[in-house]
Amino acid sequence: MKAYFVRHLQVLFATLGNMRRSPVASITTIVIIGISLLLPMILYITVKSGAQLTESWHGQPQMSVFLKPDLADNEATLIFDELRLHPKISLAEFVTPGQALEEFRAISGLEMELDFLDENPLPASIVILPITFAQNSNELSLLRDELVKIDGIDEIRLDLEWTDRFNSILGNINRAAQLLSALLAIALILITGNTIKLLIMNRQQEIEITKLVGGSNRFVRRPFLYFGALYGFLGALVTLFLLAIAASVLHEPLSELAQLYQQSSLIYQPSLREFGLLMLFSTSLGWCAARLSVAQHLGEIKPQ
Amino acid sequence: MIQLDRVSKEYPGGHQALKDVSFTLDQGEMAFVLGHSGAGKSTLFKLITMIERPSTGRIVVDGQELHHLKESKIPALRREIGVIFQDHKLLYDRTVFDNVALPLIVIGMPDDEIRKRVRAALGKVGLSGKERAMPQTLSGGEQQRVGIARAVINRPNILLADEPTGNLDTDLSREIIDIFSDFNQVGVTVLIATHDLQQVERLKKRTIHLANGEIVPIAQAEPEEQQ
Repeated sequence: MKAYFVRHLQVLFATLGNMRRSPVASITTIVIIGISLLLPMILYITVKSGAQLTESWHGQPQMSVFLKPDLADNEATLIFDELRLHPKISLAEFVTPGQALEEFRAISGLEMELDFLDENPLPASIVILPITFAQNSNELSLLRDELVKIDGIDEIRLDLEWTDRFNSILGNINRAAQLLSALLAIALILITGNTIKLLIMNRQQEIEITKLVGGSNRFVRRPFLYFGALYGFLGALVTLFLLAIAASVLHEPLSELAQLYQQSSLIYQPSLREFGLLMLFSTSLGWCAARLSVAQHLGEIKPQ
Repeated sequence: MIQLDRVSKEYPGGHQALKDVSFTLDQGEMAFVLGHSGAGKSTLFKLITMIERPSTGRIVVDGQELHHLKESKIPALRREIGVIFQDHKLLYDRTVFDNVALPLIVIGMPDDEIRKRVRAALGKVGLSGKERAMPQTLSGGEQQRVGIARAVINRPNILLADEPTGNLDTDLSREIIDIFSDFNQVGVTVLIATHDLQQVERLKKRTIHLANGEIVPIAQAEPEEQQ
């Protein structure tokens, strides 16, 4: 048993040695695999980042109730009290036109421009948080329809509307990512399989001699399976390296953007498990590609 | 040990390489197969090592009916037979050690045992100390000895040598044939295909004459051999 594992280790190191002897071909294949895996990974991270973002919004679904601009203060207070005491509303916060302008000034960075305005164009508003069981889309819509009938309320914006649309777009990106992943997996199998085929052709004499001295098909194909698996593994490492570069380049601008949305990070950071799955997937794909290629081409080589 | 019973081999395209060839080589026997190029010597060896299958007839090697041998059992058969080729069939990007060790590596022998056996095999063929040499740095005779060391490393019961002295001068040919004779002395069955009548006559072993794929009497074969 020990000899068996030692032999596998020897094949592994011999395969690495063979890769080193033909660095250009090996590196080209590995980089192609790395780049091919990068695209679905980026889409995966994009989808996850979007999901993460909407999740944080969905955590506190809220409605913005805009009051009519000409409403008197006492009328606004009455509406605020009515909303505050509504059984489906857990929290209501009154935002005066002045507070709204200050908030807009802070977020937009249009301080100079806002100073030129003669009067504040923003209306008073009430931000409300529905109670937990009313937080699904249907209940929120019903609540909005009920509240909009209150005299003095000009408009109600349901923050979920556009996040639902955003989720729908994310769903489509997700489906596109899955389709692209499947297509790229096929491409990876073809690329790796073709590289293995070339390796088999280049080592035809060695294969013939090995078979002549009693090497079984299992023994002969083993190094090529290692080649495939190593190409996949190293290709996945290249993907991680490229992701790290992309993350490093995008870190600063995305951090600034995240601050505007009161988020610590806009980019989803894959877990170690997900990175491990990527490595496993790529290694398995390389192994499968090698297995297919070996099954197709090794039988053609017979000792002369 | 090796038994051929009315064996014929026809290649695709209609070339009849062997016709109704029958002979038996007993355990521990040494024999030469004589014949001009295209007489069927190499085909005979390919059939015994299952590189090719006969079109008709029956071959028994070391008690195994080759006709019934499954594809998966062929490697095991080849491990029982040491084969030496005129062109040596060495791996030129590997050391002498790696070449000789190959039959042991394919059966998963532990490294320590491989080292011992390779040293012993190289000692037997007079190449002690050449383990780290690359084959292309060796002479033709030395390369052939590497091939012989590789063929015997697995302690096979049968040695087949296809024109092992084809590219060597008379002295080297004698040395190589003597190595085969030494293995025969310890009970290994040896079958050598050769043109070299001088060596055949010197050792006075049994000869099998092939001409146009058929076994022929010596008188019929000799004029062709002398051409």
